Amino acid sequence: MSNPLDELASEYVLGTLPGEQRAEVEQRLQHDPELRAAVDAWEQRLLPLTALAAPVTPSPHLWQRIERNLSGVRTPWWDLLALWRGLAGAGLVATLALAALLLTRPTSIEPTFVVVLVAPQNQAPGWVIQASNNQQIQLIPLGVMEVPADKALQFWTKGDGWQGPVSLGLVKPGQTLSVPLDKLPPLSPNQLFELTLEDPRGSPTGKPTGPIQAIGRAVKVL
Amino acid sequence: MFDYEACLLACARGDQRALRQLYEQDSSHLLGVALRITRDKALAEDVVHDAFIKIWRGAGSFDPARGAARGWVFSVTRHLALNAMRNSYREVPLGDEHEPAAPPEFSTHAGQIHTCLEQLDPARRSCILHAYVDGYSHSEIARKLDTPLGTVKAWIKRSLAALRECMA
Repeated sequence: MSNPLDELASEYVLGTLPGEQRAEVEQRLQHDPELRAAVDAWEQRLLPLTALAAPVTPSPHLWQRIERNLSGVRTPWWDLLALWRGLAGAGLVATLALAALLLTRPTSIEPTFVVVLVAPQNQAPGWVIQASNNQQIQLIPLGVMEVPADKALQFWTKGDGWQGPVSLGLVKPGQTLSVPLDKLPPLSPNQLFELTLEDPRGSPTGKPTGPIQAIGRAVKVL
Repeated sequence: MFDYEACLLACARGDQRALRQLYEQDSSHLLGVALRITRDKALAEDVVHDAFIKIWRGAGSFDPARGAARGWVFSVTRHLALNAMRNSYREVPLGDEHEPAAPPEFSTHAGQIHTCLEQLDPARRSCILHAYVDGYSHSEIARKLDTPLGTVKAWIKRSLAALRECMA
């Protein structure tokens, strides 16, 4: 075996790499298709050897433990690549909405950030957020969104590097809302905003749980 | 035959019954694999727990083009078990109480890997099996076979090369 990459892949799959090197390989696997392919080939070669380990019946509570921990571990929406790929298509819509906003806004207001919130399914713009300073934002509806009688819209934001979204409170459809951000880090470019459908009194977990109604990222306006 | 691809697709859609079916199908095999490596039942169950959570989360990003779904399920579990051993720096004695009843036997199992393993010298074959099935590190194998560490490393390297050639 003259190929060092294949050699690394084979010892990774065999299990003889020390912990540090294992971690390096697992890191590399996420963005190195050549190593990925070599590891996959070795997994398939050696897989039949797993049959040499005799089956062992798990204790009766193992499934319950697994089941208990399933809820809440689905990939959170802010980590969903597919969603962000889809939203990239919203760029044009956002630009048009921005242009309209910039042309119609009173000259006395100088927004430093603008966010267009679009529906994830069809990318229809539903709300605009503007901020004329880093401490206060305005949420402006572009129409009246239909919300089921037993649900409420909850407003969230998440900056790059934050652990998760932070609630900015409940929003009534069609309502223009001023939200102070004084308890949060200053607004930053690319900061995420979204509205989700939650229980009438807001998400019981303090994090978004319901379907996203509108979502967008902050754009700095010069 | 259990349809692993369909099962992962259903998991990706959020269907917990599909995961339960996978559990019924394979939890004892996966626990067996994890237990051989961790040599500790509680730790092995933790590994299987984490593996099922990882499978549930990762089902949506599983790419059938990369290999069989069944292989992926076993690989996820094996690597979690190996990571648990390599990261904890715990030395589990290779004494009798943790020793499998018999050294890994393979002659009764069909498949190309077994044919190719048979062509290896017995000591080298043991290295491969102790590493893959028992999760032994280089130094654990060296101690177990009472062979210098450098020799064990070289044997493993050459045996893997031979296996690759034999299975090509």
